[in-house]
Amino acid sequence: MTAILEVQEVGKSFGGVRAVDRLSFVIEEREILGLIGPNGAGKSTLFNLINGVFRPDAGRVRFCGADITGASPHRVARLGLARTHQIVQPLEAMTVLENCAVGACFGRENLPRARAQEAAREAAVFVGLEDRLDTPAAQLTIAGKKRLELARALAAQPLLLLLDEVLAGLNPTEVERMIGVIRRLRERGITILIIEHLMQAIMSLSDRIVVLNYGKRLAEGTPASVANDPQVIEAYLGDPALARELAGKTRA
Amino acid sequence: MSLFGIIASIIDGVLVGSVYGLAAMGLTLIWGVMDVVNLTHGSMIVAGMFALYLLTSVLGITPYATLLPVLVGGFLVGLALYWIAVHRMIGRAPLMSLLSTFSVNLVLIGLGTAVWGTVLFNVPVSFPGVTWQRYTFPGTHLLAAALTAVIAACLYVFLYRTRLGKAIRAVAGNRQAAELMGIPTTRVLALAFALGVALAGVSGMLIATLFPFTLLSGDAYQLKSFVVIVLGGLGNPTGALLGGIALGLLEGLVTPFIPVSWTLVIEFALFVTVLIAFPRGVFALRRS
Ligand SMILES: Nc1ncnc2c1ncn2[C@@H]1O[C@H](COP(=O)(O)OP(=O)(O)OP(=O)(O)O)[C@@H](O)[C@H]1O
Ligand SMILES: [Mg+2]
Repeated sequence: MTAILEVQEVGKSFGGVRAVDRLSFVIEEREILGLIGPNGAGKSTLFNLINGVFRPDAGRVRFCGADITGASPHRVARLGLARTHQIVQPLEAMTVLENCAVGACFGRENLPRARAQEAAREAAVFVGLEDRLDTPAAQLTIAGKKRLELARALAAQPLLLLLDEVLAGLNPTEVERMIGVIRRLRERGITILIIEHLMQAIMSLSDRIVVLNYGKRLAEGTPASVANDPQVIEAYLGDPALARELAGKTRA
Repeated sequence: MSLFGIIASIIDGVLVGSVYGLAAMGLTLIWGVMDVVNLTHGSMIVAGMFALYLLTSVLGITPYATLLPVLVGGFLVGLALYWIAVHRMIGRAPLMSLLSTFSVNLVLIGLGTAVWGTVLFNVPVSFPGVTWQRYTFPGTHLLAAALTAVIAACLYVFLYRTRLGKAIRAVAGNRQAAELMGIPTTRVLALAFALGVALAGVSGMLIATLFPFTLLSGDAYQLKSFVVIVLGGLGNPTGALLGGIALGLLEGLVTPFIPVSWTLVIEFALFVTVLIAFPRGVFALRRS
């Protein structure tokens, strides 16, 4: 297996807060890597360090073998690294299709307008927005906007997708549908790094999980081993009974 | 004044007003994309006027052939202004860019008056007019309106039918999201600013084919642009064109009855009324 993303000793502080503290990990091609940790653990900051929103204070980030440390976000996006936002950021005045077309136009493939339109439609249909194509993004429900985030990222034909809490705020039915979409993404050969607070969902989706706490890696391994790790249980899951239940679910 | 006279006055007002709309499109484009109130707008309009004067009187170019050089020159000047006065103010309090563009405007006007003073310039432009009843619409007014329509149509096609236009609209919608989708947003901001300045320059050039001007004429036209963009809805180029036409219509309607010195009073009464009654603009159909 080859690594698609390598994060080496990356650090970022805000004032006195070490949001991400000398963190290293690797994502293999076609893998779904889950990233979990309590609120404020540094998960979103890590995404921002990977895709260039923040420049790391220390360490390096390599994507497909190229050093992208401190590269501007649009350059990272063009290399094939797309992301969704924890707080949705639709282009409100544009329709669903136009939003996706922007992603397709300026993403990895750099498509001309007509082809971008096609890719946009395909991405929107893929996430289940086929009957909302001409709806202005501002008029979507929160579930719709989360889908749009994903569709727009997908339209860029990324190699690696960073998903920041795409399941948060969705009802159980919507969560199920979204999980289905993410599974099908992986079948298409897209590598995924996913942040999620819904334990059950992330345990069943991920091949491997990295647990962050105070910007540091607390644990790393299969969902089952992480859920059984006493350190993780103490720092994050809190309740050993809940952890056992989760571990049981992943084995089933 | 006959009914025909009033109608003729209104039509002429609309012709001239469309050129005000063109100027305002530049101002509102910049505001819509980067939330910057470009106070060099007035001096860029004047620069367009002087470009017409210099290119015709010194180089002997025919007046309407100056349009392309003015567009290109305006664009380049706009790029320079962006990097000098605006780039570092992006994302900071709106007052910062307001002050920096205001200062640059003062410098430019100061330099201009040092060279040319504040005397009245008049560029003789003749073009056959159209006669209707007892009234003749000057050819310059008709041609200015026609060129405005062409430029506005080009801008529309550019914004809504090209990749770069898509990028500009995406940055206007949400700069961070646009950047993360692979759009080099800094370059797009510079481009949009330069485009806005080019529009101001061209509108100044067209206005100078209609009326005499001085180096200080920019202020009055800049104020008209503000009225127009408030009518049209801030940040909305299509609305700005409609706003310009509406302002022209109003001017055409009142000029037969009211001394010219009252025009500004009426326009600013309108400005305040619109701000209070229609804060999103009267023609705010679609925000780009
Ligand atoms: N732009 C910023 N400026 C200052 N501090 C920041 C900034 N972004 C994040 N932080 C701080 O860095 C730490 C990590 O925040 P981050 O958003 O990465 O956490 P998270 O793991 O994504 O949390 P959540 O699960 O709540 O989304 C927090 O203490 C946060 O307050
Ligand atoms: Mg977060």
